[in-house]
Amino acid sequence: MKELRRNMRLIGTLLLCLFVGVAGWFGYTTWTQGSRWAMSSNNSRLNHAKKNVVMGTITDRDGYTLAWTDADGARRYSNDFAIRLALSQTVGDTMSMSGTGVQTFFASTLVGMSGSVIDRTWQWLSGETTRGDDIQLTVDARLSGVLAQNFPAEYNGAVVVINYRTGEILAMISMPEYDPASLDTDVADTAYFNRCLQGQYTPGSTFKIITLASALENQPGALSQAFVCTGMREFGNGAVTCLSGTKAHGELTLKTAFTQSCNVAFATLSYGLGQNALLRTAESFGFNDNFTFSDVVLYASSFPEDIGSVSELAWTGVGQGRVLVTPLHMAMIAGSVANGGVMMEPRLVRQVTGATGLPRLRATPGAYKRVMSQSTASIIGDYMQSAVESGTGTRARIQGYTVCGKTGSAEISDDKTVETNAWFAGYLADEAHPYAVAVVLEKAGSGGNLAATLAAKALSEAIELVG
Amino acid sequence: MRKRTTEIGAMRRALKRADTSLLLYAVTLFQASAMLLLTLRTNPIDTQSLLLAGIMPAVTLLLVKGLPKIWKIDRVILTLVLFLCSVSVVTLTAISRASITPLTQALYIGAGLIGMLAGIVFIRLFRHWNRWKLVFMVLSLGFIALPLVIGETKNGARNWIVLIRDVVGLQPSEFVKISLLVVLASFLSERQSRTMKILSILFGASLCAVLLLERDLGALLLYFLTTVILYFIATSNGLLSLAGLGAGAVGAVGAYFVLPYVKKRVVDWRNPWADPSAGGYQVIQSLIAIGSGGLLGMGLGLGMPRMIPLYHSDFVFAAICEQFGMIFALCLLIVYVLIIMRGVSVAMSCRHGFHALVSFGVVTMLGLQTLLIVGGNIRLIPLTGVTLPFVAAGGSSMVSCLAGAGLLLGISSLNADQDEDDVRRAEWQEGDRE
Repeated sequence: MKELRRNMRLIGTLLLCLFVGVAGWFGYTTWTQGSRWAMSSNNSRLNHAKKNVVMGTITDRDGYTLAWTDADGARRYSNDFAIRLALSQTVGDTMSMSGTGVQTFFASTLVGMSGSVIDRTWQWLSGETTRGDDIQLTVDARLSGVLAQNFPAEYNGAVVVINYRTGEILAMISMPEYDPASLDTDVADTAYFNRCLQGQYTPGSTFKIITLASALENQPGALSQAFVCTGMREFGNGAVTCLSGTKAHGELTLKTAFTQSCNVAFATLSYGLGQNALLRTAESFGFNDNFTFSDVVLYASSFPEDIGSVSELAWTGVGQGRVLVTPLHMAMIAGSVANGGVMMEPRLVRQVTGATGLPRLRATPGAYKRVMSQSTASIIGDYMQSAVESGTGTRARIQGYTVCGKTGSAEISDDKTVETNAWFAGYLADEAHPYAVAVVLEKAGSGGNLAATLAAKALSEAIELVG
Repeated sequence: MRKRTTEIGAMRRALKRADTSLLLYAVTLFQASAMLLLTLRTNPIDTQSLLLAGIMPAVTLLLVKGLPKIWKIDRVILTLVLFLCSVSVVTLTAISRASITPLTQALYIGAGLIGMLAGIVFIRLFRHWNRWKLVFMVLSLGFIALPLVIGETKNGARNWIVLIRDVVGLQPSEFVKISLLVVLASFLSERQSRTMKILSILFGASLCAVLLLERDLGALLLYFLTTVILYFIATSNGLLSLAGLGAGAVGAVGAYFVLPYVKKRVVDWRNPWADPSAGGYQVIQSLIAIGSGGLLGMGLGLGMPRMIPLYHSDFVFAAICEQFGMIFALCLLIVYVLIIMRGVSVAMSCRHGFHALVSFGVVTMLGLQTLLIVGGNIRLIPLTGVTLPFVAAGGSSMVSCLAGAGLLLGISSLNADQDEDDVRRAEWQEGDRE
């Protein structure tokens, strides 16, 4: 009997622990992922609610109305054609053509399903037409319109501007765009696709920011390292070449290797660091993380976990091979350099207002995580400043402001006749205007040309329009 | 001398049971207010709900106040079990139309309560279990195998007998649970030879084999785990029990490779979003319902829980989450834990190994069944088709769960009787001495 009781106590405790485990898992997953499940496009409650509920209004950061429901129940969008198109993927549409748009991702808020029990009961009792919540976004409508108009018309691509102190997204433009007000018309192939969030691009030389961070954090003597570039170096059975082609960079310090964007030097660094150190740094910057941000669906950036050869390792260090990154993530990486090594969580929603007019949610900035030490960030910042002042990114300069940045020309094909994707990632070193930018122009050649120019335009317009 | 008197005083005080009236009134308040709210939701008012708003608290009061006057049963377990039954009626009233009306579920619960009374009487009168166990074994094996001969297939499992088409059906695996517990307990209770104890495992295994043929995976898992756990408790043979668990694990892995429907369950669980409209449909709709409910739920009678497939049976937990929210669902889990802890303490104070094993078996089965189905609803484990005890719609499950609770209550009353006898004996001895 005594033994029986002991065993019963044991199994009873085990059962109790299992219950605690299941309850804990249930509470944790529902708390962290519940709203994601509810916002799923498979949730027919939303479509049902959209028919019976007046969907809330969406405004920009200054209160400019981007989308609203008129008296007849039709969904209307801003009359300014440029703004409407520039924000098409950001705001989204009622048919969920753009899957990451606010009208899809925040559908449950806009139809009032995430509202409080009191609100809902009150509306139910009073028999009033149910009204969803209003959302104020962090984006600036005018800035978005201007950026779309200044986007080189012959290219596809993306530009995203964020505030690196708060994580607020000020503009995200994805080209080509579509008109949410007339979904029947034919659009370009990838118009519904928000490249800023869903576009997984080869980062090219912009990835050197991460290789540099890895070297600074893992190699004590990294700063005093010297390189000799002959335009090409063999790694295993492959060779890394510098894109400048005919002329070699010659003798380089770590700093000039970065500002001149020397592939040979960074391939050497990457080779010295090894796969594990580079993977660790990339992951601390958010690569391979399935981001679960509350405001945006940001696709994962990826870094290969199984680099097979020395030549692949060398190429990976200069942002080629199987490394992929989204434009918003690239802006966050540039922003983390400016923000002393802390990457902020992206914010798209500034405020949610309930049907009763009371603000339900006011966004507060939150850090995603510290991605590198403050000293590493300040060294990289210094290098990025030089890259714009005297290196590959001189076209990003703005009169009267300090711009820091890194260009990238990402090879997307083995065929040398295909132009590279042009990248620019950078930020303003200015307390009053803490803005970071990432630009990618598909097949637009070198990052130092059009991409740097567009980045400068984006930052100067942000100073002008957002203040 | 004096010391003995105080000891008797302490024993007497221990017999006085805690005041549970506050719990009882809270439960009746929940029943009445929830049903009244549901009554008002339609125009004209729903008379079925109105009727139940009166009947449910009345029955609860009658049982919790009345039954302890006949037998000294554990009132906390009874009150909590009745609370779970009322959650069942409230939830199903709020979400169901036609197929299973609240009144049907209330009738099932009525049948279950009769089963509970039968359970109490049975366990109080049942002696000579060793002589009876062969009868029980033959009956259980025959009954559980019956669907193979005259059964119907429902949701992929052939575990269903139709008595009157579309009206009355039976699921033998639910009822055999009770008999499994009784047989295992009589095999495993003290003074049994080693071979007899091994026989208990063979009996459990043969039931499991039949369930495998019927593709009733949930019941199979439940029977298997209960058998192993009871065997371990009775024999302290950790090695053999672990070996049994290991064999079960090997069998499960084997089933994954051999049986396509097992593999499909696991694949749907691993990555339901890969195919949200077919394989992953059920579990995704369950998660969506849980997410839509949020912390406080959509509100009673609001929301669209009918979007969840099998919302009244396999996914009733998700439906509760949508209606009442996460906090209520967590509290519901706590209620299960309270019943289990109370049940374990009943098992611990038993005088007979047989009673201890039966009551602990009831508790184990209740706990495992809850964990299996809740875990399946929240995508912690692959879905197995067991019911949420006392809550899910369905007559067989309700009657079998309540009959199991009856066994537990009956044993708790036997314990109380024996405690009282002890006190009386001690007082007599005291009297003799003086």
